[in-house]
Amino acid sequence: MLSFFSSAEFQTVLSTLNTGFVKTLQLFFVTLVGAVPLGLVISFGSMSRIPPLRWLTKTLVWIIRGTPLVLQIIALYYVPGLKGVHIWSGGESGRFTAVAVAFVINYACYFSEIYRGGIQGVPAGQQEAGLVLGMTKRQIFFKITLLQMIKRIVPPMSNEIITLVKDTSLARVVALQEVIWMGESFMKGNQGYAGLVWPLFFTAVYYLAFSGVATLLLGKLEQKLEYFR
Amino acid sequence: MEILEVQHIEKHFGDTQVLSDISFSLEEGQALSIIGSSGSGKTTLLRCLNFLERPNHGSIAVRGNVIFDASDPSTQAERDIRQKRLHFGLVFQNFNLFPQYTALQNVTLARELRAKERGGESREDIMKAGRDLLDQMGLADRADHYPHQLSGGQQQRVAIARALALQPDILCFDEPTSALDPELTGEVLRVIRSLAEKRTTMIIVTHEMAFARDVADQLIFMDSGVIVEQGSPREVIDHPKEERTKQFLSRYSNH
Repeated sequence: MLSFFSSAEFQTVLSTLNTGFVKTLQLFFVTLVGAVPLGLVISFGSMSRIPPLRWLTKTLVWIIRGTPLVLQIIALYYVPGLKGVHIWSGGESGRFTAVAVAFVINYACYFSEIYRGGIQGVPAGQQEAGLVLGMTKRQIFFKITLLQMIKRIVPPMSNEIITLVKDTSLARVVALQEVIWMGESFMKGNQGYAGLVWPLFFTAVYYLAFSGVATLLLGKLEQKLEYFR
Repeated sequence: MEILEVQHIEKHFGDTQVLSDISFSLEEGQALSIIGSSGSGKTTLLRCLNFLERPNHGSIAVRGNVIFDASDPSTQAERDIRQKRLHFGLVFQNFNLFPQYTALQNVTLARELRAKERGGESREDIMKAGRDLLDQMGLADRADHYPHQLSGGQQQRVAIARALALQPDILCFDEPTSALDPELTGEVLRVIRSLAEKRTTMIIVTHEMAFARDVADQLIFMDSGVIVEQGSPREVIDHPKEERTKQFLSRYSNH
């Protein structure tokens, strides 16, 4: 058994999958860093008092949530090129950029609806209490509403974030070399190991470890916010 | 001198007339109680004074300055409203304390934000003033508790301290004891009574008739958005002139 883990084959598979996993991690973090704030902007749009802005935002959210992410990735990556506008640079970095943009938009739309629920769930009395104390709308949002909203949205956000861990695998549809793509490559003869299926299945270990860590961290955040009700 | 002069206030939500031709005035250092059944417009009136609702008609003047006039748009500029609100403090029926802040932070938050904006008071002074206010409310030992760790009566007393922290000209109470268990109303009423003894100008919307009679210098009975009767509490409660007032009071006579 031990000799298997130290075998050259296993070491090759491991280092190949690690390379793919780094790409998976990059996509995950870029998506979070982009979608968490963009989602807030979109949620403000969908709650705007200006009807056209509200309709526009709601339509965007409907389209993005109503179509498969995998389709959005394909469209975003290929359609500009088909129209003769080559906005993505060639090769792996161009693929990564296109995929990251698709992920950020997609997740921002889902996050925006979670935020909206969180913001609207904070009782109106909180805002009124801030107003009668002479606070500005901005101060009320950042000093009063925001933390109460965060507390409310941690459980649904955890759900989305765990989903994102696994959704990163959709990037392989445009051949981004994330961990699943790397696992599959062994079936096709990567480095002479044609027909190996187990590396693909082994990628599950990466996802499990990753989502395990994410679950623990989000649980910690939830605990930290338990000091108030 | 009259600190507050409300003239011909009207408010409607869509087709529903909530307030009709409300006029009254209040002297500095006096307490005004407003009584009346639910839906009579008492809360809406307080919300108009605090700019949480905009009257459709009428004017409000504080110390002789017109701060709102429905027929004069220059009195309604959004940027001035923040400042104008500070003439009034409002204590809500449901306290509306900020749950993520301690009792002391609830009291000091708005004042700290103001100090940050326009300089002036030091943080130490604000903290000290906050602790003094909590002390006045009998809550010195609860300063570092979060709202959910306090009883309803304690929460409402923190809310009163929070409203007092900005030194409003007129402190408004919207049924301050209605959300409390009966055994907790006493501690809140005691605090309000002590404020009245210190000649704090107050408007108190309440269902506590005995309390209103004791504490208020002036009493208004409202029904269906109009002032039916106003005068000294003894006049209105003990010798009501209007039929509607008599009917309303008869429901409380057994208490």
